[in-house]
Amino acid sequence: MLEARLEQASILKKVVDAIKDLVQDCNFDCNDSGIALQAMDNSHVALVSMMLKAEGFSPYRCDRNIALGVNLTSLTKVLRAAQGDDILTIKAEDAPDVMNLLFESSGEDRISEYDLKLMDIDQEHLGIPETEYAATITMPSAEFRRICTDLAAMSESVGIEASKDGVKFSCNGDIGNGSVTLRSHTSIDKPELNVDIELTEPVSLTFSLKYLVNFCKAAALSNQVKICLSSEVPLLVEYNLSGSSYLRFYLAPKIGDDE
Amino acid sequence: MARTRSAKPSTAAPAADTDSIKSKSAITLVPHTGEPPKVFILPSKATPEARIVTLPNPRTSQPARYLACPDTGIYEFKRIAAPKSEPRSWLIEATPTSNESKASGAAGPGSQVTMGSELFVATALDPLFLVLPALADVKASKGSKKPKRLFLSSDDHLDKLPQESSHLSDILRWDATRRLIESRMSAVCDAVDAGDEQMFRLNEDKLLEAIYQKAKRMSEGGLPPSMEDKFVNKVLEAPLMHRVVRTESQVTSNPDSGTSTPQTDSATSQSTVSSAETDASSVSQTSTAATSVAEVQADESIVSALQASPEIVQLQKLKTAFEFICASYVPPELADTLKQSFTGTGGPVDFSLLNDYIASLEKLRSEMLAVRAQDYSRKRNMDEEEDEARMEKKRKMEEEKKKKASESRGVRELKKVNTSGMKKLSHFFQKK
Repeated sequence: MLEARLEQASILKKVVDAIKDLVQDCNFDCNDSGIALQAMDNSHVALVSMMLKAEGFSPYRCDRNIALGVNLTSLTKVLRAAQGDDILTIKAEDAPDVMNLLFESSGEDRISEYDLKLMDIDQEHLGIPETEYAATITMPSAEFRRICTDLAAMSESVGIEASKDGVKFSCNGDIGNGSVTLRSHTSIDKPELNVDIELTEPVSLTFSLKYLVNFCKAAALSNQVKICLSSEVPLLVEYNLSGSSYLRFYLAPKIGDDE
Repeated sequence: MARTRSAKPSTAAPAADTDSIKSKSAITLVPHTGEPPKVFILPSKATPEARIVTLPNPRTSQPARYLACPDTGIYEFKRIAAPKSEPRSWLIEATPTSNESKASGAAGPGSQVTMGSELFVATALDPLFLVLPALADVKASKGSKKPKRLFLSSDDHLDKLPQESSHLSDILRWDATRRLIESRMSAVCDAVDAGDEQMFRLNEDKLLEAIYQKAKRMSEGGLPPSMEDKFVNKVLEAPLMHRVVRTESQVTSNPDSGTSTPQTDSATSQSTVSSAETDASSVSQTSTAATSVAEVQADESIVSALQASPEIVQLQKLKTAFEFICASYVPPELADTLKQSFTGTGGPVDFSLLNDYIASLEKLRSEMLAVRAQDYSRKRNMDEEEDEARMEKKRKMEEEKKKKASESRGVRELKKVNTSGMKKLSHFFQKK
């Protein structure tokens, strides 16, 4: 039996909005530590990993490990019924056929309830090791989204080059080339605009912009985004949710001459 | 000719069972337990010593029920039942004068209705088929192309039949039955005398000849109408010429006419038809409408594109009969080789006439199909096949649509992204 009450339904709504364009169906794995999700896109070059910790819910109860296989497009349709400040309660039996979603308006004068049919999804889980990245860039999520969309207009892929001077996003397309360079920046008034670059060694990698633009749909979840790079390993883009909950995206780098 | 009994005459236990239920039902309605009584028609020539026994089925080697009579041989049970769509029951009347109630001493009129509408008719079975799996030694010869068969005594052969729940050894104690089986064995086997015993070895040529004779008799006596319709007439039926297509409906509206085969020589064809009919009525099958036969034939001599001669029809009947026997009584492994040697060159009958006819028929059919496909005037009554193909296409489209609806625009667009040079994530991360 699962019962999880989320004060802000919008969190789940934004998470699902961010990943529904990357994966079609996925399992929400519920256990006593929280609700986790891991899924890859159709081409298996990108991976999304979400963790909603039990502390983020009040109350949270999960007696047994339950996998809720959901079609994200369908879930979006149900979540569309939620108002921004609704309280969401997710309920499911131990061997569920449906997932029950209950939306209460904050004034508790409107209650809407939905049952979403579940599906059996065969998914392989990848073990993701803790990695020491060569470069870790923390920057405003809106800024990252802007850079990605701007460069995506010119080219399919972006080169990300982190050095002691800063981080340079550059692209080379049919109509020309372009680049955006960011330097470390600390603002006392507006800490959400800080740009922080931690570097152990310079690194330069190329990524598909279409995927990065897709990741940026999660910008609504958090003001800041953390981008971690090391050569020869997938890029990590992490959005922190409330507490230690997170939404992470991994993307395989482009290797080879065909940039 | 045949007498009907309301219960298995030989097995005493079930009979007593049903009787006890009958007597109780006069007072209270006892929920019916156990098997409902079955209705059997037994041959009148079978002696009272006849028993219902379990023997391995020659085709499947599974235990099946047979009626064995020490004097007249072995009978198999044919089940005759109404189709599921027409539920029927038996009303079994137990009059005090009937043999059973006298014998068991049950009093009172305990008539009863059984749910099943099945009728089991015991028909004579050549014991040859029962021993055939042992003679052919199908299990042992599996794998090797040419089985090496040894001369063995009849007992050694019969030991090879499946022993579980088989009463074979019991009925072999009847001398007449044993003699019968051995005489049938010698009909298809090479035999040698070894001391006071006879040793047998299966001779496939003899077996082929024996089955051929059976098939010949079966086809000459006329096949049952339903069989003739499906395997003889349907196969030989030529497509109707397209210009006189209106008469087609007349032909199909007479499904039990039994002779939609195109035949010019009406004298011979009529004679085979009538013989088939008398045969059919004697075994109480649905009789055919004789009047419609002539009428349809008159039409068909105009419309049919190709006509089968009586010889061809006879050949097809023979082939059907042979295949029926093989499919019903001969182990599958043996049936294949038999069929090959029967229809192949060097067989007892020359099938070239029939094969030529069927080949030309095939050609004609494909031509007709091609003509129809181009014919715009037939747009409205499309072929079933075309219909099916269209439905399939539609179904596929719907499925695709549904699948599309369940994936978001973003997912669809990501499919188009050029991922060359990007390794799969399973390359970096280990599978759990």
